[in-house]
Amino acid sequence: MLADFNFRVIFEYLPLFLTGLRATFLISIVSIALALCTGIIACACRISPARVLKYPAIAYIEIIRSTPLLVQIYFLYFGLPTLGVRIPEIQTGILALMLNSGAYIAEIIRAGINSVDEGQLEAGISSGLNYVQRMRFIILPQALGVTIPPLLGQAIVLVKDSALLSLISVAELTRSGQLMTSERFMPTEAFFTVAFFYMCIYFVLKALAEWSQKKLIFREAY
Amino acid sequence: MENMIEFKNVHKWYGKLHVLNDINLEISRGEVLVICGPSGSGKSTLIRCINRLEEIQKGEIVVNNTPVHDKTVNLTRLREDIGFVFQQFHLYPHMTVLQNITLAPVNVKKMSRKKAEAIAMEKLEQVGLTDKSGAYPGQLSGGQQQRVAIARGLAMSPEIMLFDEPTSALDPEMIGEVLDVMVNLVSEGMTMCVVTHEMGFAKKVADRVVFMDEGKIVETGKPDEFFDNPKTERAESFISMILTH
Amino acid sequence: MMAFYFSRLMEIFPFFLKGLWMTVQIAFISLFTCTVLGFFLGIFRSGQNRFLKWFIGVYVSFVRGTPFVVQVFIIFFILPEWGIQLEAFPAALLAMAIMGSAFICEIVAGGISSIPKGQWEAAASSGLTMTQQLRLVILPQAMKVILPPLVGQYVLLIKDTSVVSVIGVMELTRVGWVTVVRIPEGLMVFSLVGILYFVISYPLILLSNYLERRMAV
Repeated sequence: MLADFNFRVIFEYLPLFLTGLRATFLISIVSIALALCTGIIACACRISPARVLKYPAIAYIEIIRSTPLLVQIYFLYFGLPTLGVRIPEIQTGILALMLNSGAYIAEIIRAGINSVDEGQLEAGISSGLNYVQRMRFIILPQALGVTIPPLLGQAIVLVKDSALLSLISVAELTRSGQLMTSERFMPTEAFFTVAFFYMCIYFVLKALAEWSQKKLIFREAY
Repeated sequence: MENMIEFKNVHKWYGKLHVLNDINLEISRGEVLVICGPSGSGKSTLIRCINRLEEIQKGEIVVNNTPVHDKTVNLTRLREDIGFVFQQFHLYPHMTVLQNITLAPVNVKKMSRKKAEAIAMEKLEQVGLTDKSGAYPGQLSGGQQQRVAIARGLAMSPEIMLFDEPTSALDPEMIGEVLDVMVNLVSEGMTMCVVTHEMGFAKKVADRVVFMDEGKIVETGKPDEFFDNPKTERAESFISMILTH
Repeated sequence: MMAFYFSRLMEIFPFFLKGLWMTVQIAFISLFTCTVLGFFLGIFRSGQNRFLKWFIGVYVSFVRGTPFVVQVFIIFFILPEWGIQLEAFPAALLAMAIMGSAFICEIVAGGISSIPKGQWEAAASSGLTMTQQLRLVILPQAMKVILPPLVGQYVLLIKDTSVVSVIGVMELTRVGWVTVVRIPEGLMVFSLVGILYFVISYPLILLSNYLERRMAV
């Protein structure tokens, strides 16, 4: 069993894994940045009183939340070509991750905004601040602190989700494991190595999330 | 005397609950009015209508010659003239004391930061907290937070100050420091509406006491008369209740 | 062309229903096993035994730190190397149980730790045994904290069943994947798949939202 664990093969394949790791890293960073923009816009529409903005935002968020990411990936992967859109797999994958995480991020931000005490809003109203000023000076700064830990949590989810891109042959970390398995048939070595790298990313992000949670000093003021 | 605030046949409902029932009230410039009554009597709602934190369904409220609930009214302009102090302080926890006070002057009155800070320090001196200008609300006691909240209201140089149970959330030993600040305000000729059960404060500085119950103004009178010789039975039982409390 | 493919798709619709049924079976069995296992693990995670706590902690970190699809590969490819042959369906159930119970364990442990120490002490002082303290005093209160994220986790588990399509289980996603080869209308095929997932997971999302609002009061 594990006694036969072949480290030599892993070292032999290390360049492949490192390339995969780099791809996973880049895909995740680009996707999370795009998802953050998508999420902010979707949230702004979601809480807006204008119905033409609000209802499409609700539909987007609920559809994403109630269907699996893998189905969303296949939808774009098999669906975009039928629309005549031909883009590389990696872009399809990033698009899917962006749309998927964007919906969750929209809800995270909305929860952050809702967590701010209503009295804060009333205090702002009473001193004559307008909607934009209240958002900018009172609500968003307080919401931000509450939002950062779950946003980092979403980043963890996104890194792991990016593994599904291996199924549309994007050359990322999990794909490296699949390639090594098909060439050498040493799945134990291949997938435990893959798992090890994911764990490394996970522990870094988790430590960040816990640190940011402790840094939320302002919440104690109330 | 000139009327600063005027309620004319004001009604308000929350669903079926008639929270304000035919309110008629005139408050003149420089007057100090204390509003008391059992919880749920509508007293907080009454003063929250003055700066339109609450909407009304019937009647009219005129503040400083402006009809508050008119659709065309410039609410920002109106609220600049009205300072509001909440029971729970509602200081902005992510800002220092100084930032709390200067936020509205800088962004609503478009004052320069320097000038706003000078005014803020002046107001902090008035409430006796100049040394706390750099502190965050979380580092202050309840009494200190409420004094900062008063300074925040004063920084807009309002003509009217509204207080919604300003001492109810405070530990007993801190009530005095807040009331002292309010008493000093009275001597400056500020028009004030105070929802409170602090009888000592009312007797000392109030020009009139309004007693509310079930959404109605039941009794109005001079503080001494009201507390020592209430005319209605409801007021009498209320007073005996806060005395034994 | 669209209309032609649509009628083809409708012809093989029963095939999709079979996939849906498989998804529902995996989901239902998994929710059950994950809940039972998750509660056990969560209770021991917040218990006194240090070794157990550490062991469960490592297990949970491994599961939470790696993608589910990698876990599925590990189970499907590696168990045979160790002499354990599993069909795709039981392998899928095993993977779901391992993954889901780790997440539910964290939810349960979080709920239990949200109860103030005084409650344990009060229950202990009135002579209740450890199990009674947990069963009669702590868990009933902790359920308020546990329930909303638990139902949220159920939604995630249902959606995660799509991943076991990679080892060939003929569930909904796999059916879509097989179909799209014959009917090259990706949008149409996967819209249908998406709608069927929506039908089973959206009611749970609504329930989760409702519980969150109710428990917040």
